[in-house]
Amino acid sequence: MKIEQKKIDEAVQTITGYGGHGILNCVQCGACSAVCPGVKAGFSLLCRNLIRHLLNGELEEIIEDPSSWGCQACNRCTEICPQDVRPQEVVFAFRRYQANEMAFSTSAVTSQMNLYETGHAVFTDARELRKKVGLPAEPPTSAYNEKAQREIQALINSGPMGELGLF
Amino acid sequence: MEKIGLYLGCNIPMKAPDIEQSFRNILPEFGYQPVDLEGATCCPAWGTAPSFDMDTWCAVSSRNITIAEEKEVDVITGCNSCFGVLSEAKHFLEDKARRTAVNAKLAEIGREFKGTSDIYHIAHLLHNKVGVDRIRDKLKYSFKGMKIAVQTGCHTLWPSDVYKVKEENPYYPTILKELCEATGADVPHYSRLEACCGMGGMRSTDVEKSLKLFAEKLFSIKEEVDPDIIVTTCSSCFLQFDMSQPILKERGVIDFEPIPTFYYTQILALAMGFDPAQVAAISQIDRSQIIADMQSERRLVKEVA
Ligand code: SF4
Ligand code: SF4
Repeated sequence: MKIEQKKIDEAVQTITGYGGHGILNCVQCGACSAVCPGVKAGFSLLCRNLIRHLLNGELEEIIEDPSSWGCQACNRCTEICPQDVRPQEVVFAFRRYQANEMAFSTSAVTSQMNLYETGHAVFTDARELRKKVGLPAEPPTSAYNEKAQREIQALINSGPMGELGLF
Repeated sequence: MEKIGLYLGCNIPMKAPDIEQSFRNILPEFGYQPVDLEGATCCPAWGTAPSFDMDTWCAVSSRNITIAEEKEVDVITGCNSCFGVLSEAKHFLEDKARRTAVNAKLAEIGREFKGTSDIYHIAHLLHNKVGVDRIRDKLKYSFKGMKIAVQTGCHTLWPSDVYKVKEENPYYPTILKELCEATGADVPHYSRLEACCGMGGMRSTDVEKSLKLFAEKLFSIKEEVDPDIIVTTCSSCFLQFDMSQPILKERGVIDFEPIPTFYYTQILALAMGFDPAQVAAISQIDRSQIIADMQSERRLVKEVA
């Protein structure tokens, strides 16, 4: 492939802008990939390999790759990296780039809707279950608290998530 | 009694309220009064705001923390993901520019993040503040002779530089092992002790990859430890072990019976004599036999007044 400086700059700027500040420190040693459960499970574009692609200036080329969504945010990579890259932050920065370009699976939409409407990414009506174990039916969270729901909606609406047209 | 803010998250109050009940039962026994954080939301989960925008993530997390700040309490959580998300957000908010931007968002809903409440996992509270000796003193039943395989989960271990409490070596965690040993049980080492269970974003993105990773860990546990039960301090790991073992069994991937799995405070509550119908009532895998054994007369150590 041909490597163009302009594309490299664009990729680095995008990733840095989304929070992957350490990307340029990477020396491609591969320590992160060696401890990454995502790589182990077969998500190929994480850690060292993702950074390689980004530092080659590939951004749009890999936008549809699902690997970043398989990242567990476990930060084994961050702990082990000798260069303070914080690879998890690069992976999540790439994921943010994908998300803001709407390149994510429709299954991920449900949890955004749940979060927006109830304040809980995971929401089920657990009232019977809670009573069964001797707890008040409604948890003291935002689930049944309209003021809290309005607050979280305000916080989401005031940022880029609110502009994606999901809600 | 010392007050502590009980941050519930999503999975525990909605899918495993018996775990929540175990917290509420045991904490006062150790001198902690759990205080509800009314109106707390999702931490927010990794797949939501953290996947879109740093400031929105930090605003939602810090809103949760401000509820504890108003009550002048520290925060404990039982979910590793919540612990990781809240701790990282707090770490990002040490950056002045970030804090200013996030506080501007919070001002719109009449809140301000001050950074006065610390974030702990309930395992940290039990291990470092209560201590294994005081735990031992409270036991009604001893689990001597029982074998436990432990599963700490990712988000209390890494990245250690953002956590208030750290393991000496996060790739060789000992906190949960010591907490389990306090009940009298044996907790042998196994080679994939720190390995990921495959829950979380991985499972929702590709369930087959997740199950493959999970099976590897499970084989290691079965072959090297052959435990009576598996014990975890992560509610996501709990769900994975409890729901995916039966799937692997049905598919013929494993030829042994699914191993009963508990959250740590559930076995502690059982050892302290609390009612299993309240503290260990919800699971896919049948745990009735092992629970009956855990609270059988032969295990009685003393009557707690
Ligand atoms: S461990 Fe750090 S320096 Fe090495 S490849 Fe990974 S990110 Fe790059
Ligand atoms: S945080 Fe993501 S990229 Fe880093 S080791 Fe964990 S799964 Fe891999």
